[in-house]
Amino acid sequence: MNRDELITYLTEKFKDKIELLDTGRAEPFFLIKRENLVEFCREIKSDLKLEMDYLCNIGAVDTGERFEIVYDVASVENNIRFDFKLVMEYEGAEIDSVREIWPAANWYEREMWELYGINIKNHPNLKRFLLPDDWNQGNPMLKSWDAPDFIRMPEELQ
Amino acid sequence: MGIIKKLPVFVEKFPGGGLVTTSLNYIFNQAQASSVWYLLFGTACCAIELMATGASRYDFDRFGMIFRASPRQSDLIIAAGTITKKMAPRLKLLYDQMAEPRYVIAMGGCTVGGGPFYYDSYAVEKGINHIVPVDVYIPGCPPRPESLFEGCLTLQKKIKKQKIEDWS
Amino acid sequence: MTEGLRTEEFQVNMGPHHPSTHGVCRFILTMDGEVIISAEPVIGYLHRALEKICENRTYVQCIPVMDRFEYCTSMSCNQVFALATEKLAGMEVSERAEYLRVIMLELNRIASHLIWYGTTALDLGALTPFLWAFREREDVLDLFEMTCGQRLTYNYIRIGGVARDIPPEFIPKCMEFLDKFDAKVDDYEAILTENPIFVARNKDIGVLTPEMAVAYGVSGPSLRASGVRHDLRKDDPYSIYDRFKFNIPVRHNGDCLDRYYIRIQEMRESAKIVRQAIEQMPKEGDVTKRISANFKPPKGEVYSRIENSRGEMGVYVQSTGDTKKPLRVKMRGGSYNQLQVMPELVKGHKIADVVAIMASLDIIMPEVDR
Repeated sequence: MNRDELITYLTEKFKDKIELLDTGRAEPFFLIKRENLVEFCREIKSDLKLEMDYLCNIGAVDTGERFEIVYDVASVENNIRFDFKLVMEYEGAEIDSVREIWPAANWYEREMWELYGINIKNHPNLKRFLLPDDWNQGNPMLKSWDAPDFIRMPEELQ
Repeated sequence: MGIIKKLPVFVEKFPGGGLVTTSLNYIFNQAQASSVWYLLFGTACCAIELMATGASRYDFDRFGMIFRASPRQSDLIIAAGTITKKMAPRLKLLYDQMAEPRYVIAMGGCTVGGGPFYYDSYAVEKGINHIVPVDVYIPGCPPRPESLFEGCLTLQKKIKKQKIEDWS
Repeated sequence: MTEGLRTEEFQVNMGPHHPSTHGVCRFILTMDGEVIISAEPVIGYLHRALEKICENRTYVQCIPVMDRFEYCTSMSCNQVFALATEKLAGMEVSERAEYLRVIMLELNRIASHLIWYGTTALDLGALTPFLWAFREREDVLDLFEMTCGQRLTYNYIRIGGVARDIPPEFIPKCMEFLDKFDAKVDDYEAILTENPIFVARNKDIGVLTPEMAVAYGVSGPSLRASGVRHDLRKDDPYSIYDRFKFNIPVRHNGDCLDRYYIRIQEMRESAKIVRQAIEQMPKEGDVTKRISANFKPPKGEVYSRIENSRGEMGVYVQSTGDTKKPLRVKMRGGSYNQLQVMPELVKGHKIADVVAIMASLDIIMPEVDR
């Protein structure tokens, strides 16, 4: 199905749980709520017209005011691709793991936990991953993070 | 090794003694410089250039340098690639495992002083000279094989200036 | 005679420094004698915080940073970021620049597969293929040096086009290389494909089923060796790939030998694409676009993806619309997912097979660690 058919199908199927953030540039981009995450993912994987069985990417964004988590999914059989995201505040930042639906999500979520401090429920192995074992300086990818030996590029070199 | 240190001083007192020590210096240094075996240590982009330098067009073997996989059998570490804070203790461990005389070449901008990762990176060691003592620095990102040869020949010149009394 | 003997499990550390040249990856292997029970990869020894660096650079300055994301196919890294920024800003690229991009991407794919071929053979104990592969790679690097001055991290494909036009000697030299390349690939096959030692070390080792491959997000030649016909150049064509005729090799066993066959065949297909691109390219035209230092794309976010030699490479860029720096750049590399599936593939094999499996999956560590 092409882009417009996909948008119509998804908005009809999920009605008010999904909102189209169409930037008009690439594949369609949707916004969902944090509570509906696992159910939404299960539905798009098992639906026979969609069959989104391939997880491409999970990324976390720190906009300075809140967190956004972006998911990019694809279907190998039906050749469909779209992206969706959810937003949440800094306090109490935690999401459910989608590892049961797509096993590829294991390491993506572990990295999000380590670099951003977002708690993942139901994850079996939240351990040190990319940073050294004795790292005690917090979550480095946050916009508000700083450390004594972290040197920023000065403005006149840009 | 104490007797080796005292021997040149003892020998030089005799007539013609200076000639013996100079010839011994020359023979040992020539032997050492002509067959420096390097440890295969490559982390990032410079490792690909190191492999290309050891391959067909630019050949390391004509200088007597071949790669060894174990630090116990090598004289030289060419630290090629970015060293991160997680990897730094491993580099020190490898350097400690080598037998003397041992040398270090810092290849590429990242090992010289952080390179393109000096600003805004929280996990990169900015230069390796506070982890291991460096003999030759080769700048570049990545340095061309000809630059790497210049660095190795500079190291050979440094080896040829060694003296027996300095062995410890 | 062995009844009554008891075995014990023990752990072996295949440390971050090992002579297999795939970078710094560490495995903690739990073994029962010579057979592996479980493997746990420990990564992060090359984590250079590229994503944090990109947040403090302008869009034009991010392109050389992306070069270091995967240095064996540096042109693809430039291309994926330029595609994302062009989608955000709604820019068009001129015809001649598109053809130049395709030529450079496919030549880079050939160079990357040659590195794979040389290091795979070296890991399994053969030295001759390594020297032969790097001899051909030097010819490709001569072409790149003629164009942009660099041998490894090119910074050539820029936002809106390419950095500069090719010199007049490029096309005759490229045709000379392509004319002799097919015979060289036949030579590479002649020494390894029917070799009984190579086949014994690779056949039925590390079998990846298609369901597991799709569930773990594996892409590229490793996915096609398991029987799933999925290639972004045909399924979701970016740039001008829909104008060229080429085949997608697919195999069905999913073991190391099939992954080897597919990459050898891909080298031949890439040579075909370069030939067609050189014939169809317009003879004149603008190839660069002037971008100001304060280039600000409008507010939005996009995820763009291309087919790299190691799988699907993607980058997610979000821009706020009023600063000249991106808000977030998230990079996705094919090797990340392939390393995630490796513990499943090595169970029940011996320790020497770990080397063979890792070489055939073509994992390279900066894509995993960034």
